[in-house]
Amino acid sequence: MPGWGLLCRAGARLLAGVPGGPVQAAATGTRGPWRFIVRPVNSSTWWDEHLSNENTQFLKQLTAEEYRAQTASKLCPLKDEPWPLHPWEPGSRRVGLVAIKLGMAPLWTKDGERHAVTLLQVRDCHVLKYTSKEENNGKTALLVVGGKNSSPFHKSESALEIFREAGVPPKQKTTIFKVSDNAIIKPGTPLYAAHFRPGQFVDVTAKTIGKGFQGVMKRWGFKGQPATHGQTKTHRRPGAISNSKVSKVFRGKKMPGKMGNIYRTSFGLKVWRINTKHNIIYVNGSIPGHANCLVKVKDSFLPTRQDCYKNPPFPTFFADGEEELPEDLYDQEVFQFTDSSVTYV
Amino acid sequence: MAAVCGRFLEPAVVRGLAQASAARPGARCRYFSSSALLRANSGEPPKFQPPPKPVIIDKSKVVVERRFLSPEFIPPRGRKDPLKYYIERIDMIRRRKVLNIPEFYVGSILSVTTADPYASDKTSRFVGICIQRGGKGLGATFVLRNVIEGQGVEFCYEIYNPRIQEIKVLKLEKRLDDNLMYLRDALPEYSTFDVNMKPVPYSPNDEIPVNQLKVKMKPKPWSKRWERPYFNIQGIHFELPEEIMEEAQKLSQPWIKFDMLREYNTSELEKKIWNEVNEKLKK
Repeated sequence: MPGWGLLCRAGARLLAGVPGGPVQAAATGTRGPWRFIVRPVNSSTWWDEHLSNENTQFLKQLTAEEYRAQTASKLCPLKDEPWPLHPWEPGSRRVGLVAIKLGMAPLWTKDGERHAVTLLQVRDCHVLKYTSKEENNGKTALLVVGGKNSSPFHKSESALEIFREAGVPPKQKTTIFKVSDNAIIKPGTPLYAAHFRPGQFVDVTAKTIGKGFQGVMKRWGFKGQPATHGQTKTHRRPGAISNSKVSKVFRGKKMPGKMGNIYRTSFGLKVWRINTKHNIIYVNGSIPGHANCLVKVKDSFLPTRQDCYKNPPFPTFFADGEEELPEDLYDQEVFQFTDSSVTYV
Repeated sequence: MAAVCGRFLEPAVVRGLAQASAARPGARCRYFSSSALLRANSGEPPKFQPPPKPVIIDKSKVVVERRFLSPEFIPPRGRKDPLKYYIERIDMIRRRKVLNIPEFYVGSILSVTTADPYASDKTSRFVGICIQRGGKGLGATFVLRNVIEGQGVEFCYEIYNPRIQEIKVLKLEKRLDDNLMYLRDALPEYSTFDVNMKPVPYSPNDEIPVNQLKVKMKPKPWSKRWERPYFNIQGIHFELPEEIMEEAQKLSQPWIKFDMLREYNTSELEKKIWNEVNEKLKK
């Protein structure tokens, strides 16, 4: 509302101006903040509040077409001046991906053992921004990577700037990866699931399922108190929180509070299988987060798992390169369903 | 009315045709056999040609090919991406091309041979009645029950486990319930099946027989209170006193069948998945 702006400026002029008068009289004694005199401006509106239906439809179609064109133009990164590609050296760190957790499924090995795997789908993953190591901290370069496409209408201008510069549709999740100098990638390159190969180990970070405000038994695993034998109104309480000698409660004391909805990482998860057609990674075990949540996947840092990085696709897998990968890549031990049943000799 | 006309038409038609053929002996009459033709071609007396057998199309019994979609193909209701179920289905179809997984229901008697590293011939065979089919997608399972040497044994097999070498249906039938867990509390004779029984043949287009057997139970206590309406069991012959049955009926929730949020109509989904699965299996 334009009226509020005028009022604000008028109010500011009154305050800054002549002492005495209605301003000083209102704020008795101390010169209180001017919010007591002029009401604050809180105008929050959403993007299509003041747009007609036709305009909304048009904008939606326009953005959709624009982003489809952008994605199509980025499909051949090797053909439009990529940054120089360096070979892999021991000690180099490459980018990770942003993936969507689809769900879990069983997987059998050739020995007949059953493992549970999580399916992660890499959908519209692009490199967004490069920060050189001089700009960062003098030691490691940074690459910002974005995940699933989302609408631009509920994002701030500052966030949309990054996507505009990269020439890529706005993403739902952006993460930062610390990268060695020989693994930097030009912003705008798409990243695929074949960036990882079966047999290697990854770390997966995601926000855990939020449980809300929880008591001490669920949140920290306290034992609580017995149900019977005279307990008065005390069955799930923490009990004692400190002793009298210390006469204070230590910082970080486990108490009830908001549980979940925090970032947690699962380390050293083996990649069993990669589907290059739908860009799906089959990762061993479970992962924090609910179904369809966005996760950050990167090469494992564990020292005992570094042997498998002898020949990774470095700096990343380019779909328009010379490599023609089959639709499914399996680890050596995985039972493929096209084989005949497992028999023991 | 058509039948009445028919009755009156037929002799009239026959008489009319007879008259026509008598009037023009050389004329070809479609309604009679080729005896008239033979008479026309040569002067010899015609060989006796029996009239063609009438083709009776009994339209009251319509033969419909049975469309059976295994329940693990139907995705459960939830917020997961359908792509995940599609990927699982591709793997399930690949496995079905290698191993024939026959159509079976809860109540059918199956024999399953699996690879066993600790057996002398590295295979183990189990025969039993299917009491439960659970799980969706690749992790779908079925539980077989049998009583061997007086001991009740249950085996939970994963349908897509690569160690399974053969699944054979010895007797295809349905029971009154979808879940026969109450056989644990029934008399052992209802769970005993001969390990060497011969497979009962069945044609793929027949309707599946529903066994109306009502099972007699061991004395209470049971593992679950099967008389309660929550389980909705039709296949037990309850010999409990009436007070207990009435007490159980007090816990019935008749409003559940009107609850619209519990409805999950899978007919559209089933059709799509049936077409998809069949196309891929044929390739």
